[in-house]
Amino acid sequence: MDYELELRGITKRFPGVLANDHIDLAVRPGDIHAIVGENGAGKTTLMSILYGLVHPDEGEIAVGGRPVRFHSALDAIEAGLGMVHQAFKLFPTLTVAENVVFRAEPMKGWFFDRTAASERVRSLAAEYGLEVDPDARIEDLPVGVLQRVEILKALHRNARILILDEPTAVLTPQERDGLFMVMRRLKEHGHTILFITHKLGEVIAVADMVTVLRAGKAVAHLNCRETSSVKISRLMTGRDVALGERTSGSAPGDEILRLEGVTVTDEHGIGRLVDASLAVRRGEIVGVAGVAGNGQNELIDIITGLKAADRGTILINGTDVTHRSVNERRQAGLAYIPEDRHRVGTAAHGEVWANLLMGFQRHSAFRKGRWLRRGAVREHARRLITDYDVRVAGDDSSVATLSGGNLQKLVVAREMGHEAPLLIAEQPTRGVDVGAIEFIHSRLLAARDRGAGVLLVSAELWELLALADRILVMFEGRIVAELEANGTDEEELGLYMTGGQA
Amino acid sequence: MTTARLSAASARQAIASPVTFSIVVAFLLGALIILLTGTDPLLAYREMFDGAFTGSGLRNTLARMIPIVGMALAISIPFRAGVINLGAEGQMVVGGLAGTLTAIYATGPGWMVITLALLAGSLAGALWGLLPAIGQTRLKLPILIVSLLLNYPARAITGYLVRFPFADPTVTSSSTVSVPAANRIPKLPWFGGISASIIILAVLLVGVALFNRRTVPGYETRMTGLNSRFSRYGGVPVDRQVVWLMIVSGAIAGLIGTHLVVGETYRFLDGDLVVSGFAWTGLLVSLLAMHQPGPMLAAGAFFAALQIGGLAMQRNIEVPWQLAQVLQAIVIIMLAGRFVISRRTAVEPDTIIEGESTVTGEV
Amino acid sequence: MFSQLFDGALLESVVRALIPVLLAAIGGMLCERAGVFQISLEGMMLLGAFAAVAGSYAGQSALLGVAIAMGSGALLSLVLAYGAVSRRGDPIVIGVAVNLLALGLTGFLLPQLFGLRGVFQHPRVDGLDKFPIPGLSDIPGIGGALFNLTIPGYFALVAVPLVWVFLFRTAIGLRLRGVGERPASAETLGVSSTRYKYAAVVASGVLCGLAGAQLALGNVVQFAENMTAGRGWIAVVAVMLGRAHPFGVLGASALFGFAEGLGFRLQGNGLPVQITDALPYVATLVALAFARRRFQRILDLTAA
Repeated sequence: MDYELELRGITKRFPGVLANDHIDLAVRPGDIHAIVGENGAGKTTLMSILYGLVHPDEGEIAVGGRPVRFHSALDAIEAGLGMVHQAFKLFPTLTVAENVVFRAEPMKGWFFDRTAASERVRSLAAEYGLEVDPDARIEDLPVGVLQRVEILKALHRNARILILDEPTAVLTPQERDGLFMVMRRLKEHGHTILFITHKLGEVIAVADMVTVLRAGKAVAHLNCRETSSVKISRLMTGRDVALGERTSGSAPGDEILRLEGVTVTDEHGIGRLVDASLAVRRGEIVGVAGVAGNGQNELIDIITGLKAADRGTILINGTDVTHRSVNERRQAGLAYIPEDRHRVGTAAHGEVWANLLMGFQRHSAFRKGRWLRRGAVREHARRLITDYDVRVAGDDSSVATLSGGNLQKLVVAREMGHEAPLLIAEQPTRGVDVGAIEFIHSRLLAARDRGAGVLLVSAELWELLALADRILVMFEGRIVAELEANGTDEEELGLYMTGGQA
Repeated sequence: MTTARLSAASARQAIASPVTFSIVVAFLLGALIILLTGTDPLLAYREMFDGAFTGSGLRNTLARMIPIVGMALAISIPFRAGVINLGAEGQMVVGGLAGTLTAIYATGPGWMVITLALLAGSLAGALWGLLPAIGQTRLKLPILIVSLLLNYPARAITGYLVRFPFADPTVTSSSTVSVPAANRIPKLPWFGGISASIIILAVLLVGVALFNRRTVPGYETRMTGLNSRFSRYGGVPVDRQVVWLMIVSGAIAGLIGTHLVVGETYRFLDGDLVVSGFAWTGLLVSLLAMHQPGPMLAAGAFFAALQIGGLAMQRNIEVPWQLAQVLQAIVIIMLAGRFVISRRTAVEPDTIIEGESTVTGEV
Repeated sequence: MFSQLFDGALLESVVRALIPVLLAAIGGMLCERAGVFQISLEGMMLLGAFAAVAGSYAGQSALLGVAIAMGSGALLSLVLAYGAVSRRGDPIVIGVAVNLLALGLTGFLLPQLFGLRGVFQHPRVDGLDKFPIPGLSDIPGIGGALFNLTIPGYFALVAVPLVWVFLFRTAIGLRLRGVGERPASAETLGVSSTRYKYAAVVASGVLCGLAGAQLALGNVVQFAENMTAGRGWIAVVAVMLGRAHPFGVLGASALFGFAEGLGFRLQGNGLPVQITDALPYVATLVALAFARRRFQRILDLTAA
């Protein structure tokens, strides 16, 4: 039979890693074909090869039966492929229409025909049920709409094969269902879809076929009607999964963090955080759920002191720190694993020891007056490297070469190495491999068990449900629900996250 | 390993180093320019070399190192935090005039007036450096731009002051009267008379080196330069830090300005401090030395020799000294283009953050 | 007193002062739109001024001078393009060094080629002629200021709407803006960011060369050491203040032109030249302070 897309023996080596190991893949026309695998299994590399962004060391690609060789994304687009990247490739200050037609612009003589561009977007949107205002600016739109723009971009270029890379990672459960409708609609129109994910429920819900990747190899090709998520998960991990199972909670102790009526208004007078009150006690993990941009960042910045509250009080360990600096809050017992380890959590060109010192450089253990106690600093760094199994050449080497998981372990080591009584963990496992996820989870639970209070912000609802004792849900800057983790599920959380009432 | 082999290896390394390469290319391009404008480049370079190192040349080169290394030091201090002070020239000029006026009009024993003059010069320079710091921390105006723009009013105000209220009525140029002999920074007997300011500079160099490597604020400064968000996250009050670094930077610039008059020319002549471009040379030296005091001495000696040699060349064979400026600029352009120097005080300048670019493409 | 200060002659000196700044600022704006931090406008303008005078002297033709000025601006701009775009060097370091290179080079070439220092004037140097537009140039008040200009003068004023059309109404302009905002996104769609950045930088070189030519053959007919005296930096600020929008940049340039023209006039009324010379820079600083915009991109670039 004729395949719409065929990969044969695709192999890609990176220094020290065999990212793709002779992968074969055949996709029938009109299928929704899922590709699953854990972080680091080689999904992203495979898709980058398919889209011409990375060149394979070995192997062949055929589209519609014809062998192709992509030198750039442009070749892939030409061949009828369209990619919706996990991190959107959009231009924030340009309009939807301008983004959609970029480099494939309708022209009127010498000029770019803006009316025709808007019309094109409108008609495509109507045809596929992708509702969007062509003249809105990208920076003003929510994430779910941006995804539609990415799909429109591919459709405008007459893509027959759409590659969706982890498309549900940024969506609420409700937005996710909307995406599935669009995917089915695309299928009806004869498009073929490659759907990359690590969420197995979604595979069963929407895909026809599934290919499982593990450690760079394609270990199985299955028909979704004849398989189950349990089976897929076993193939994916090579074992029965432990992640996602709840561990027993403990008896919470004294209050370590309290917020009362905290409000933050932005320069346009819009409340980014409205009247937020919460408490975290020693020995418990409090989760924060919410669609990105609903006040979680502001909440964290307020607690850590990176931003000032307009109203309200913040107490750490019983001390009013509302008007205190970041440093004073750290002295009061705060540790903080930030969401963005590259841009906030580390200095790429700094040495390992310098990265492990930050935030604690004013502790008396590391200084004598204004002088740095360099011996103590180095010794502490070496101890953390050992205790947290951070793979580095030495405490003097730069952190720029560390892998994502290793870098995150370094951040975790620094923030947890002092056994601070209050830990703020913001997306602590984002983008790290499964080994690092397990490690970080066990450390968070260990911190809870030794009596630390943990505030855990995560986009992964399963992670919150697995680790947290209580879960707060944020919507439009407000804490709209507080739920016992034992008594709730993803559906209920999703409903609150989108402003619906349970 | 024997010493001979070691030195052979390090010599090979030195020749292959980008710095050496850039200097060689600069001299080659410079030779081409000299040739095209009708002079024998070998002759010109010989004049430069002799002028910089023979006769009184060595003394002059050393004397010129004071403002060049001093300005480099001033600029390096905020630079380590990623803050580019393009206004060091203005700070130097303002400080220079404040120091000069103090040395002229203050009364008391010579050593006391000199001390007062140095303090006044530092203070004025510090204030001029404080302005752009406030602009950045309060109004979010980039120091780079504001400090640079402030050079022009600095020049204008001092020019006005020495043209009118503080003018020497006996001369036609815009200039103050001479600093009284007793209030001048004395010359030391070494190398045929070098200003005592060199001692101050040496102390500052050691102090800054210790600050950079051994102190908590020095560590925090470097971290801000590597990643200011990281610093802020780690509890460093970055805004306050920037203000202090600019104050210190301006103070040192003001000190150098004071030295240039009270220790060298003895009268503040409008435009005199600017024409040699010490602040700009200092900036290049700081970049070349990657903002470290030790290497700054070497880089400063090199650029000072270029300039003194250039002046000698101009005197003897009428080839303009600006050739030195051209060579300096080419060296820096070559190095910047080859990744060797950067505004970041990097450990390994060549490494790039690995691919996981979820942040860059995100809207 | 005010009626003495503000009249057609003032407007004329305002336009005179604004044109070189505007030309350079348009170049800077194109670079900003393409995502290249361009602070070597000053140096390219200075080299352009020297090249214009040298070219005009050599060929006894102002147009030849202008052509050589634009060529040398373009040549110098390639240093930044290669260093910052191809080699990914630090644009600020390279930009500063390029400025110093131009200062050194013109300071070196002036005595070396013409045997004198400071200011070079010569009857062989052909200045740019003004072309009054019949009818329009006789309008009282504004006619002399706006409709009796040199060719670069007219070009600068016409370039503002033209660049607007280019940026916001053509496909190439759209792609340029995209490249500047998210080069990686543009690359995935097959738009080479390198090519657009080079084009923008070279365009800024040509425009700065032209600005220098207008300064040295239009506003005056001579070359003086460091004669740009910070105008290139003011153009950098004009791009910031005008938010890299053609009409915004025109407005910002006009503000500086006005400050300079006013200073010139006040000088005639007896104010010391030292004070009036500082006026455009002080006006710039005040305008920046009042703009109270967060110049976040530059702050991000300059503060690690």
